[in-house]
Amino acid sequence: MSFDFALIATSLPKILQGLGLTLNLLVVSTLLGLLLAVGILLMRLSQHAWLVWPAKAYIYFFRGTPLLVQLFIIYYGLPQFGLLRHSFLWPLLREPYWCSVIALALNTAAYVSEILRGGVLGVDKGLIEAGKALGLTKFQRASRITTPLAVRLALPAYSNEIVSMLKSTALASTVTLMEMTGVARTIVADTFAPYEIFIAATIIYLVLVWFIQTAFTLIEGYANRHVRKG
Amino acid sequence: MKFRTGLLAAALLGLTAALPAQAETLRVGMECTYAPFNYRTPDGQMAGYDVDVAQGIAERIGVDLEYVCQEWDGMIPALLASKFDLIVASLSITEERKQKIDFSIPYRVSIGRILGAKDAKLMLFDDAGQPIPEAFKGLRFGVERASTYSKWLEAKLPEAEVVYYDSNQSMLLDLQNGRIDIAITNPMKAYLDFLSKDDGAGFEFVSPAIDEVKYFGPGVGVGLRKGNDELLKRIDKALAEMIKDGSLEKYSHKYFPFSIQPENWKGVD
Repeated sequence: MSFDFALIATSLPKILQGLGLTLNLLVVSTLLGLLLAVGILLMRLSQHAWLVWPAKAYIYFFRGTPLLVQLFIIYYGLPQFGLLRHSFLWPLLREPYWCSVIALALNTAAYVSEILRGGVLGVDKGLIEAGKALGLTKFQRASRITTPLAVRLALPAYSNEIVSMLKSTALASTVTLMEMTGVARTIVADTFAPYEIFIAATIIYLVLVWFIQTAFTLIEGYANRHVRKG
Repeated sequence: MKFRTGLLAAALLGLTAALPAQAETLRVGMECTYAPFNYRTPDGQMAGYDVDVAQGIAERIGVDLEYVCQEWDGMIPALLASKFDLIVASLSITEERKQKIDFSIPYRVSIGRILGAKDAKLMLFDDAGQPIPEAFKGLRFGVERASTYSKWLEAKLPEAEVVYYDSNQSMLLDLQNGRIDIAITNPMKAYLDFLSKDDGAGFEFVSPAIDEVKYFGPGVGVGLRKGNDELLKRIDKALAEMIKDGSLEKYSHKYFPFSIQPENWKGVD
């Protein structure tokens, strides 16, 4: 087996053709997942058991099963019901893109809601009591005290989840999408050179992760700008 | 102590029993999910036309076989990386592949045909049997990644909206579900496990047989790493024997109601 360095260089631009779709999947499913996560978080923190238990069950299911299996259930499993293929949902579920976005968003929502819950629980009780003493309403306490502090506490774990999501987008290649891994696999099929091509893909993923990490370092610095560093 | 001596004796016996035969073991790469060519029976045994051919060769050249299951798009890289020694996996003999690996003489035909819904009344080919590019507009076209079909498709219909699949099953599932409109595949296989079953009731072949030698080669052969000329000669000799004595013909009829040998191929409808 010979190793062809030039092949890495020539395959980089080809794999980059899948970059747009990779980023698209990442951004859309992360945003949808975050919205869903906030909803699940509110249910999970509620005083009512009938809200808490569905949230717990949701988190248990989506954290407890492989993302690949969830994607296959949505992509291959759901269309087995003829009813669904004739429903208003089919134009959406027919598309591998939306199946991937739905699977990624549902999955990340479970993790993110737990990350956010960790942040909320980390907020010092004394601060909330101080808010009460000052006569702030429940809503004011949530928006002025709990939320900003919880977000600050949750940021490091959240950046971890975004990096993990970037890598999860590669699973979309298993349902025919031509994101970066899909393109890479197709080039491997043509060149029979898995090492060079997947190394090229690795380089691009690492650069993307570097951008995500740096962005979060800056955001964390901004969020904690009031905190004096000793 | 008694037990140990017994064990030693058994080991020695095993050793001497194994020595005279001195059968070399060759590892054979195949998908193991491509019925009826290579697949596992419910009780875990390997079966299929490719398996019969591999077994026939092994008997004639006096080797033992060990099967290795490998996904299609990694088949040639895995052979090159010595994960196994032979590919007997319905691999067509093409010029492009011949630059990386060696092939035996063909042991069956290599042909593609396009499947589509009966209702769609598709007219995709002209009288000369060539595809009409305009007719493919707006059709999602399924194909297996790294297949001869994908090479043909990319060369003949560069504008087509192509959807790449990792396996034949997932492609046919999406054809049934309506995620793709047409799919190009092996007509023998499509006939046997799709068109002749309930799942494929609403579908038919919407193309003539596509077998241009430039893309499909002279047929399907056994693949080997380059530089194994002696083994290649033995395999070619075994295959020639199997063609002559009618073994390959016999294997075809085990799975298909028609012959899949180049000499006796008459098509499927």
